[in-house]
Amino acid sequence: MSDSVITVSELTRRFGATTALASVSLSMPRGAVYGLVGANGAGKTTLIKHVLGLLRPESGSVRVFGLDPVADPVAVLSRIGYLSEENDVPGWMRIDELIRYSRAFYPAWDDAYAEELRRTFALDPAAKIKNLSKGQKARAGLLIALAYRPELLVLDEPSSGLDPIVRRDILGAVIRTIADEGRTVLFSSHLLDEVEQVADHVTMINEGKIVLSATLAVIKESHRVGDRVPSLDEIFVARVGTSAGSTPET
Amino acid sequence: MAGYLLVLAAIKLLGLGPVEPIRLAPPDGRAAVVIAPLSATFMYFLAVFSFGLEGDLAARRSIYPARMFTLPVTTAALAGWPMLYGMAAVASLWLPTALFARWPWEINVPVIWPALLAAAFLAWTQALTWMPYGLPGLRVIVTVLWLAALDAIIIVAFHYKARELVMVAILAPQIPLAYLVAWFAVARARRGDVSDWRAVASGFSRTRSSVGSGTSRTFQSASRAQTWFEWRRHGRTLPAMVAFVVPVELLLLFIRGNDTAPIVFEILFIALITPPFMAVFAAPALSTSTPFVARRPLASANLIAAKVKMTIWSTLVAWLLVVTFSVVALMLSGRMPVVVERVRAGIEVTGTLRGIAVVLFVFAALVASTWKHLVQSLCIGLTGRDWLIKSSVLLGLVVLIAVGPIVDGIIRNRAVQSAIWNLLPWILVALVCLKMIAGSWVAIRLYDSRLLSDRTLVAGAACWFVTVLAIYGVLEWFASSPLTPRYFLGAIAILQVPLARVSAAPLALAWSRHR
Repeated sequence: MSDSVITVSELTRRFGATTALASVSLSMPRGAVYGLVGANGAGKTTLIKHVLGLLRPESGSVRVFGLDPVADPVAVLSRIGYLSEENDVPGWMRIDELIRYSRAFYPAWDDAYAEELRRTFALDPAAKIKNLSKGQKARAGLLIALAYRPELLVLDEPSSGLDPIVRRDILGAVIRTIADEGRTVLFSSHLLDEVEQVADHVTMINEGKIVLSATLAVIKESHRVGDRVPSLDEIFVARVGTSAGSTPET
Repeated sequence: MAGYLLVLAAIKLLGLGPVEPIRLAPPDGRAAVVIAPLSATFMYFLAVFSFGLEGDLAARRSIYPARMFTLPVTTAALAGWPMLYGMAAVASLWLPTALFARWPWEINVPVIWPALLAAAFLAWTQALTWMPYGLPGLRVIVTVLWLAALDAIIIVAFHYKARELVMVAILAPQIPLAYLVAWFAVARARRGDVSDWRAVASGFSRTRSSVGSGTSRTFQSASRAQTWFEWRRHGRTLPAMVAFVVPVELLLLFIRGNDTAPIVFEILFIALITPPFMAVFAAPALSTSTPFVARRPLASANLIAAKVKMTIWSTLVAWLLVVTFSVVALMLSGRMPVVVERVRAGIEVTGTLRGIAVVLFVFAALVASTWKHLVQSLCIGLTGRDWLIKSSVLLGLVVLIAVGPIVDGIIRNRAVQSAIWNLLPWILVALVCLKMIAGSWVAIRLYDSRLLSDRTLVAGAACWFVTVLAIYGVLEWFASSPLTPRYFLGAIAILQVPLARVSAAPLALAWSRHR
């Protein structure tokens, strides 16, 4: 089996006149916490959708665990845990129904871990998803993404809806835990300080193109000015010319 | 709509001539040409102006968009302006129609009260759907009952040939009343005042949770979990629609004088064709998918199988309700002896075995037709392409509009009837060939895309063939006569069993799932 969990080669995708991804290539090593950063509309979600097989490459190729996610969605999706930016878990489901439904798809589902997560996230099993707060919905989504200990965890803007304390503690702990166990995390965000806390590899994407991709340590070292190590946000501004967190949605 | 009316007017002037009047009543039967698009547009307006397209009708909270509550305007304006715009739209839908009907079609239709009826109907729909309710689903029940009552009043007034002035007197006060209710509804929704009557129904809740305790069991497979998901999402739609409509239809059995065999059977016929008819309206909702479902680690074919299983359960539950309601209504209304007597007479003519077989065959055909209507739009809806879905709806409407006048023309023209009769074998052959070509194309695409295994493809084809043979056998047994050639029965059997559209559903889902 390849050491790369995700291999993207010359991936291009257009939506009408807009080029969402232009000849993107990247390779994601196993066991890494991989931060995908960029302004809103940079192409992060489009790239993640290709990884999940929800979009078909216009040109180029995507391989996840060495498989084509479009040709073999079951084999790929059963090994990925995913938390979406939109958090589209059906509102009519109760928490216990969501857990019961989700566990049927993953043979490796860990009931004890799921229950532990449910308690940690303070989710009432009888509560309907649509009645939960935004933060609770994100926690419910995180629960079903984690409870089968997926080989690859994909978090697309996971911080939306989580308050700062929970965001730092829960997300950091989860990502570190998974990375320590040799699992891989792909973490997309436009909040660079958040990425800086947890990622060990960073890929900056802007207008559908990768502008920088390396380990966080290498990136920081290469941008050092004298004794001062710049923040990821400063590096991003220097590379792209605008702050990722302050760019309006496009 | 305006363009459509202009085209029709041009056809009338250029084709039929400016002086020939058009009658709405049979044998001309051209009313559908106007009524079908008018009704479709009116229903669309109802959905748009009540914000029904973006809200959750079954929810307790108001469907009035919450984002508008923050606008710096009074509640009276929030309720009033959409109502005013909506009423103006529906009234203006009727007024040009009526004017076109008067000239150049020379159809004498009333102008004012139908416009008022449309406006009142919309105003009450808005008021009742914007209201927050204490129980989920109560909105639909209250709105349907209230609008049905309004309709009933107008039908009674129409039946007694009430003058236009009387109709206006009945309808005009409805609009301010509806506005007051809408204002109250929006005010409650704006301050977040949603009653919760679920505690009142705690006994029911306890029963439901004890029933639901069985649901804490785990699913034996991902496919079963997905079938459960589909059932919870859309499976109850058709049974709910049937449960609302059929009892109302069967109430006709209780009306004094409706005790003769023709009337009783006519009422039963209406009740029995309700599930297939309702299935057409239930189908679009269940022919949808979501990104959440697309990310399930389940093959597209299995996702479709879950939908198909759900439609089978939905059909069976709907029919269980229809049969139960019909038997109970016949017994309570005292009309059961009329049915028993007529069935006994029928059996005397056909023989017991044949009689039972006829009843079972007709029943099976109705059940199958219901299921067919539920699944036949899967291949369109699951593509997720708006342009394809809207085009198919438009095409359906065009066919619906055209079929009335075409059939009417055929019935009145013996030369056309004769030509169709002579061409019938070729028409059937052409339709069968078209179906087989479409089926083969879908099978090749399924094979190439590896969405289905070879074994599943062969098993599916074998099932289809056996079903066609079985239907042909039954038709041969019932309807074989010198006047009905075997090719005719064979073609009917082939055309009746779904093939291409159902098989294309996995292709459609895969197309949408991996865009």
